[in-house]
Amino acid sequence: MGKGLSGAIIEQHADGKKEGEFLRVSVDFVLLHDPLLALLLPELKELGRSILDKTKLLVTVDHFAPPSTIERANIVKQVLTFVEEEQIPNCLVYQGICHQLLAEGDWVHPGMLVLGTDSHTTTAGALGCLATGMGSTDILYTLVTGKTWLLLPKAVHVDLSGTLPPYIMGKDIILELLEGAGESGFLYQAVEFYDRDSAVPMDDRFSICNMAVEGGAKNGLFFPDEVTRTYIRERGGQREPWFQFPEKEPAYDNKIKMDLSRLNPKVALPHSPANVCDVEDAKGEEIDQVFIGSCTGGRLRDLKVAAGILRNRKVAKGIRLLIVPASQDIYRNAIEKGYIQDILNAGGTILNPSCGLCGGIDKGILAAGETCISTSNRNFQGRMGDPASRVYLASPLTAAATALRGTITDPREVL
Amino acid sequence: MEKNGNISGRVWRLGNHVNTDLLHPPSWFSLDEEKMKNGLRVGMERLERKDVPGDSRDELVIIVAGENFGCGSSRETSVRALFAIGVKAIVAQSFARIFYRSLVNRGIAPLVCRELHDRITDGELIRIIMDNQCIVLNNREQIPFDPFDPHIKKILACGGLIPYLKNECESET
Repeated sequence: MGKGLSGAIIEQHADGKKEGEFLRVSVDFVLLHDPLLALLLPELKELGRSILDKTKLLVTVDHFAPPSTIERANIVKQVLTFVEEEQIPNCLVYQGICHQLLAEGDWVHPGMLVLGTDSHTTTAGALGCLATGMGSTDILYTLVTGKTWLLLPKAVHVDLSGTLPPYIMGKDIILELLEGAGESGFLYQAVEFYDRDSAVPMDDRFSICNMAVEGGAKNGLFFPDEVTRTYIRERGGQREPWFQFPEKEPAYDNKIKMDLSRLNPKVALPHSPANVCDVEDAKGEEIDQVFIGSCTGGRLRDLKVAAGILRNRKVAKGIRLLIVPASQDIYRNAIEKGYIQDILNAGGTILNPSCGLCGGIDKGILAAGETCISTSNRNFQGRMGDPASRVYLASPLTAAATALRGTITDPREVL
Repeated sequence: MEKNGNISGRVWRLGNHVNTDLLHPPSWFSLDEEKMKNGLRVGMERLERKDVPGDSRDELVIIVAGENFGCGSSRETSVRALFAIGVKAIVAQSFARIFYRSLVNRGIAPLVCRELHDRITDGELIRIIMDNQCIVLNNREQIPFDPFDPHIKKILACGGLIPYLKNECESET
């Protein structure tokens, strides 16, 4: 069985205890967010055990940020009280989406083993670590023991080559992969990306690893390279020695080759992220709302390319364009660079950094019969609003181009 | 549930790739068990199940799903709601990773069985015989399910991950 670099990381973290095929492993870092931390608090209290290492976790309030109902206000209050009582050192409130905040800090490095309460914890794998999501009860176990139980995955090697065309983004790369794999094509597998020409920017890598889970994967991972190193160094996190690849070349169950220069812009049709076709084939579909944001579409490069398309132009009549930067830091940067001004001038509405629209939590909820094109990661029926609404997933470039025309548009037509 | 761990129940047959947003729509996220259960009722209506039972019903429900059951969000409220209405076992052709773990962690047995889904109709009565690793149909026919990994078996025997954790702590101190 080819278990890839992910398998090697798991083995490096094993503490020697084995039951069946499961290895008990030490966990380096845990990511928690408001609702799914709140869910485990009663049992944590009842258990009467303390958190093993409070420095190895990040708590974010990003889902109910800020809360829009009394019930949610009470959930956030519980989380904040817990953080204060336990004196958790790392807690970010209303600062952005947990996956982006984890990557903005100096917490995660190549080779680490990272868990989170959110299925999209796979995002952090862009930094060359093994990062995966689990339910609240699993995370409770890790909080008090510092460990979890993992199977060694089968690994898929995705060999990316060539240069990234200006109309292609990370979203197109992962949608192309999901088109081939389907919703369960990567079930339990590690999907490992080898970007041989270092062509894919870090912001795009985050989106790719984030959505590996939409094919069922345990994790997505980019082989650490100069792009990774530069990113981590810029955040003041240059750890030495730099990541040591295992001596034995990782083995794989499956290998996929992708020439980036030959890709077309992609779109996922309702109601599955794996229901993918070329934008060209969905062209002309009428849209009510355009959402550019989330942990797969609200990063600085996403806002930059969207602003580039929208600059000195106007959103089509009747189209609601909603923008949600993935973090306060990104928001601040986007203001300084003029992207926010460009988007406002084009007719866009900017909402505060949070999970918001993507999970149908608050603001921008879709009505029956409405259609949205979204840069988020899931378009399951009813996720973003009424079960009779429809969501297409696409890159920020495609979403911005669509906002101009009011119908699904290939970004090549407006670039 | 019987003393020996065997489970008899009526089948709710669901399709392939039933995701947690459908099963338990995100707006029904709550720490309140009643609201959690309502979320499941809404989910079932969306899955076009008209006969969503309350928890007062005498017989157990056994979900029989196709591929990749429970894909999507890690929100454990979907699993907790299933537990709250008395679901003790789910049979699927395959399970999504997080959902599988969460079922085990909350003490619901996830049985992998390729064959059953195509051979069962909604509302049939079935019986799961744990020791024989098989599912008995109404016509007494037996269909085997895949054996549990010993680790999974141990957590299920404890009744979930939290009791497992308590046992583990006791045995290691």
